[in-house]
Amino acid sequence: MDGIASLLHGFGVALTAYHVMLMVIGVMLGLLVGVLPGLGAPNGVSLLLPLTFTMDPVAAIILLTSTYWGALFGGSTTSILFNIPGEPSSVATTFDGYPMAKQGRATEALSYAFLSAGFGALLGVVLITLLSGWVARFALKFSSPEYFAVYFLAFASFIGLGGASPLKTIVSIGLGFSLAAVGMDSISGSLRLSYGFDSLVPGISFLVAVIGLFGLGELVVTIEEGLKIDGIRARLSLRDVLRTAADMPRHWLALLRSGAIGCWMGITPGGPTAASFMSYGLAKRFSRKGARFGQGEPEGVISPETADHAAGTSAMLPMLALGVPGSATSAVMLGGLMIWGLNPGPMLFIERPDFVWGLIASMYLANVVAVVLVLTTVPMFAAILRTPFAVIGPIIVVVCFVGAYTVASREFDLWLALAFGVVGYIFKKLDYPIAPMVLAMVIGDKAEDAFRQSLIMSKGSPAIFWANPLVTTLMSLGLLLLLWPLIARLVAVARRPIP
Amino acid sequence: MLRIGRTIAVSAALSMASLAAAHAWQPTKPIEFVVTSGPGGGTDNFARVVQSIVGKYKLSPQPIIVTNKGGGSGAEGYIYARSSSGDPQKVIFGTNNAYLLPHVVKTPFKPDDLTPVAAMALDEFLLWVTSQSEFKDTKSYIAAVKAKPETYKMGGSQSKDTDQTLTSLIESVAGVKWIYVPFQGGGAAAVQLAGGHTDSNTNNPNENIGQWKAGQVRPLCVFSTTRLPAGPKVTADMGWGDIPTCKEEGIAIDRFQMPRTVWLPAKVPADAVAFYVELMKKVSETPEWREYVTRTVQTPRFMTGAELKAFVAEDDANNRKVFEKEGWLVK
Amino acid sequence: MITRYAAELATAGTTAALGIVTMIGATEYGIGWGKSGPEPGTFPFYTGLIVALASAGIVAQTVVARGKFTTPFLTAAQLRPVLAFSLPIVAFVIASLVLGLYVATALYLLATMVFQAKYRLRVALPIAVAVPIGLYLLLEKAFQVSLLKGPLEGMLGL
Repeated sequence: MDGIASLLHGFGVALTAYHVMLMVIGVMLGLLVGVLPGLGAPNGVSLLLPLTFTMDPVAAIILLTSTYWGALFGGSTTSILFNIPGEPSSVATTFDGYPMAKQGRATEALSYAFLSAGFGALLGVVLITLLSGWVARFALKFSSPEYFAVYFLAFASFIGLGGASPLKTIVSIGLGFSLAAVGMDSISGSLRLSYGFDSLVPGISFLVAVIGLFGLGELVVTIEEGLKIDGIRARLSLRDVLRTAADMPRHWLALLRSGAIGCWMGITPGGPTAASFMSYGLAKRFSRKGARFGQGEPEGVISPETADHAAGTSAMLPMLALGVPGSATSAVMLGGLMIWGLNPGPMLFIERPDFVWGLIASMYLANVVAVVLVLTTVPMFAAILRTPFAVIGPIIVVVCFVGAYTVASREFDLWLALAFGVVGYIFKKLDYPIAPMVLAMVIGDKAEDAFRQSLIMSKGSPAIFWANPLVTTLMSLGLLLLLWPLIARLVAVARRPIP
Repeated sequence: MLRIGRTIAVSAALSMASLAAAHAWQPTKPIEFVVTSGPGGGTDNFARVVQSIVGKYKLSPQPIIVTNKGGGSGAEGYIYARSSSGDPQKVIFGTNNAYLLPHVVKTPFKPDDLTPVAAMALDEFLLWVTSQSEFKDTKSYIAAVKAKPETYKMGGSQSKDTDQTLTSLIESVAGVKWIYVPFQGGGAAAVQLAGGHTDSNTNNPNENIGQWKAGQVRPLCVFSTTRLPAGPKVTADMGWGDIPTCKEEGIAIDRFQMPRTVWLPAKVPADAVAFYVELMKKVSETPEWREYVTRTVQTPRFMTGAELKAFVAEDDANNRKVFEKEGWLVK
Repeated sequence: MITRYAAELATAGTTAALGIVTMIGATEYGIGWGKSGPEPGTFPFYTGLIVALASAGIVAQTVVARGKFTTPFLTAAQLRPVLAFSLPIVAFVIASLVLGLYVATALYLLATMVFQAKYRLRVALPIAVAVPIGLYLLLEKAFQVSLLKGPLEGMLGL
């Protein structure tokens, strides 16, 4: 019940003209980066991050999260209209969305996408509202071993659930860890892996890496594919939207199932991309209409969209309460929290209730703002894609490098962004997963610190990772996820009838 | 034409300024405040307070841009200063890490790469214990630590920094031994102490005040020659002034304080240094500065010139002794 | 044409080399297990080792299943647009370091639009000038963030 009271307090914080204005600006900017294939939500948020350094944290997080919601909506728009996923997480939306648009049902497809996305987002926020009180009670139980266990869980779930080649996932995570280790090691107080270069002393910023990996890398892939923009004009009439809305309750099963998948994947850091694919896959397998998937079936739009947004929003809870990001974008925001002087983690709910509940309330409001804005501005954003790529492409390049420089005003970061652009391009083409690398860069050194702090506390005994029920549960869950592919195979072998 | 006009305007401004304040040097483009910590850190707050005061009282003819270069525990900012040698438009904000860091970390910068301008305040250190423990005063805590060496945990910010230096000092004067656990910063050390995962820390007043108010931690003593100014009560029955000094409580350390320092790159003109000394002096006399120092429970102390040099030399020698004893000095 | 096979091997070779470089860098700080947990170099050393081993595993997988990797990584037809897009980016970075980001932005946009997309100068020039000015107003004026500047801004006294 105190969740509801806190939420009301949060609405008091979030509902100021200034904050609502930031929501509108954020959603619009997010739609912009979401619509543009080169820019994604992690990119848009990291570009805005340096600009929030001087803002109040509540205002800053509202701006960034609103950008995130906007980007999620914008990504699905281009998926449906142009068969170009504006976001990695909206790839699955193209499978049925684009066929629908080609059949002249673009409005219907967009409305299904936005409304189910809105539903997924609200489901995610409700979950956060209900669970946060429970999380706050665990606030002070977290020390270094528990933190390590949670980081371990995050990495384990990436290896366990990801579809990519396990070896390539390991290379990606390992490189991320190595990059995170560059610079000051706070446990020993010595500079590591700088190889005598002044430029490496401050370490390698994950923001610059994200801009290169996602922004520049994706642009080159787009160029190479020849960029066929086969646009379909979008006209949204209110009547069509309302008719689709009235039709939504018929898909309650798909909505709830996809919402549950999304929330689970958001809280265990699987991320929106994995969530949307998983949801589409399960819907195809279990829905009565499964056979018609891929030919323009509304449920094929509803399932990935609901899961995508449910995962995107619920990923905020582990980020705030545990300091563990559930998606690449929330990983960027996690970096933001620390820059604003907030310590993500259980104490945040006790120390800064205004921040946490202001954010949660803003998530309800901003998603409503986003649905309204997206339904009214779709034609405008779609027009951007009619701008020739020869103009918009180089402008995206400029935005990427300006973003990389503003992170820390370092000339060296321009080269770094370029290098990460090459890495992003090659990794994408060879199916190396990029998100685990970003995850490792963001929490890699923290995981290491937590591990070493724990062992300092226990005077070198690893038993500290099984010292109490909390840490034992987290570690076991991590091990279970890590070994899940193996377990699944064993179960399958055991079930096979003996001939 | 435009340039000539500008030159005239600049020289007019210069002559007026030299009439008014009797020094020749004035900044000619925006001044850059280089902060040797990340946004939100203690040094960052310090620089941004100075920036806002300069802006409010229009103490500088040029605007100020703050850039954070806190990588490598501040080494990034000092390396930047080294590469800006001779540029009087860049002002570097730091602590005693400006001259201590090169002792313990292999960095390319040396203290000679900086020109001292001023120290503006001293941040205090206290000994805190968690409220989950039974210790109400320094003597009983120290006695307990002495009875069981390497059992009690002392939390602090990263290794070889001020917190661990102070811990090492207490260990040698009191004959005790803690397990020192380095966290990412004072904030994390405060949370861990509040949760009872560590037994004590040596945080600055500002870092632990939230937990103290919430009754999760307890101050035992302050490492200063005199008690802190009384001020209003922080908890129901205690204010800063009620905390005894550690010397009163039997820990033989006169004082342990961290200066908030301002520097210029090397090889800058002497009258540029004079300009910034004057500027910082004016800042330190404003009510806003006093408000900042009081709010963060620091001790205001403006030092420059020979006084600053002597302070740095003494602080450097004291810390070096600890580094030597602990074997932290880099070759 | 670059085959997928060659690209897989070259990438895995590069990541393996990065892993080994990390391992070498880590040895400087001690890679053992001290009395209170691992030494500073331990984690980088083992992540480097894991990267090197996993890369070797990818090389092995690729060589064993060579037949599966005959698809092109980059065809000659794709190479042209990719180079045409990425080489100007490298030039843009170098120009930024010499002339500052604003001037480099204008030159880069102008060059790509005029020489690659064959726009007329009277279309390209206004866009190429408007973007950096827009950036300047947004960053330096609205958000007080300073971008990399070059000699031109110095002459203008910005």
